[in-house]
Amino acid sequence: MSVLSIPSKVSNVKLAGIAAAVPKNIVSNDYFEAFFESTDIESVSKMSGVKTRRWVDENTTTGDLCYQSALKLLSELGWEPSTIDGLIFISQTPDFLLPPTAMRLHKKLEMKTASIAFDVNLGCSGYPYGLWLASLMLQSDDVNRVLVLAGDTISKVVDPHDRATAMLFGDAGSATALEYSDKQVSWSFVMGTDGNGVDNLVIPDSGFIKNFMARDKRLNDKKSDRLFMDGTEIFNFTLKTVPPLVSHLVNEYGIDVGRFYFHQANLFMINHLRKKMKVPESAVPTNIDLFGNTSVASIPLLFATDNLCKDEVDHIAMAGFGVGYSWSALAMPVDNDTKRIFLEV
Amino acid sequence: MYDEFLEGMAEILEIDTLNEESKFDELDVVWDSLAIVSTIALLDQCFDAMIPGSQLAEVSSVNEILSLVESQN
Repeated sequence: MSVLSIPSKVSNVKLAGIAAAVPKNIVSNDYFEAFFESTDIESVSKMSGVKTRRWVDENTTTGDLCYQSALKLLSELGWEPSTIDGLIFISQTPDFLLPPTAMRLHKKLEMKTASIAFDVNLGCSGYPYGLWLASLMLQSDDVNRVLVLAGDTISKVVDPHDRATAMLFGDAGSATALEYSDKQVSWSFVMGTDGNGVDNLVIPDSGFIKNFMARDKRLNDKKSDRLFMDGTEIFNFTLKTVPPLVSHLVNEYGIDVGRFYFHQANLFMINHLRKKMKVPESAVPTNIDLFGNTSVASIPLLFATDNLCKDEVDHIAMAGFGVGYSWSALAMPVDNDTKRIFLEV
Repeated sequence: MYDEFLEGMAEILEIDTLNEESKFDELDVVWDSLAIVSTIALLDQCFDAMIPGSQLAEVSSVNEILSLVESQN
């Protein structure tokens, strides 16, 4: 496993709270009857598990969903913005190409100037990465509180006529509050990257590169400025990567994980992984049926909405995997004080 | 394992039965990305084999799928 991924342990970190926000607008599978045959909709829904998803309107951004999450979370925690030393915004659908969306959020949240704020461009794997970065920041003497704002509005970049992506994705934003703790509690991370996946989940014409994948036959009937996904390659990657990722947490770190929060990629995929890893169904919550695949927000959204029985579970694990290819996982002890908030905006 | 695989393939292709000689065009089945993803999972489950989707996209019969599995062993 060490060949595939980098392990990292971080101590003295407390997960104070998580808030996840979804748009009020519910889009059911019926909506897609204007684009696809009903048999196609049924087949895709059966495999993906998605029955409804939430989509933003054209005026709402990923930053807005994360801002609402952060506002609610700070209020519930009783944290003043002036006490926050760092803000990490993770998204592949930011409010701007430049400046970083973290700047807009820094301003809206009225944070102090003596703070660190930046964007991270990661998707499905991004949430554990964000927690890792925040945990490392908290090792600095003058950094005591960090916000990780993770979200995506993939509905803005899908082609409604592309069966592979149109029905799969939902929009969501989240805010996670971490702070320094004197307790020597360890968070165990595992992370890895394989750039060979760069053209399997991509918006080819979304930046400054020209003619990327111009000769790729898979894009013959696709729009180059919309999200392209080669689902079969992504599935192969996931089968190859996720079991050893989880195995590292459970076996090499020796952590007794009672609850696994997997990135909500696709229900068929999650169920197959669960069976392959011999993890009981009760230990793997899902909510893709309600919210679709919400990219980087799927893990915090799942955690915020899960009925976690704190007395029965000592440790939880999170695993994100996808676009890049990129993967990351985290195991941490359950903290009974962690606030979990779900909101519709 | 072969029986489980053949049963699984029949389910994926939404037909009652098939055998190793079955060809997709003769069966009039849909061999699309959903069927391929399901087949990747089935091969992993039955043979612990990881066949790339791009290779499965090119096959036109059950025998060709089994050949891909054998070539990996």
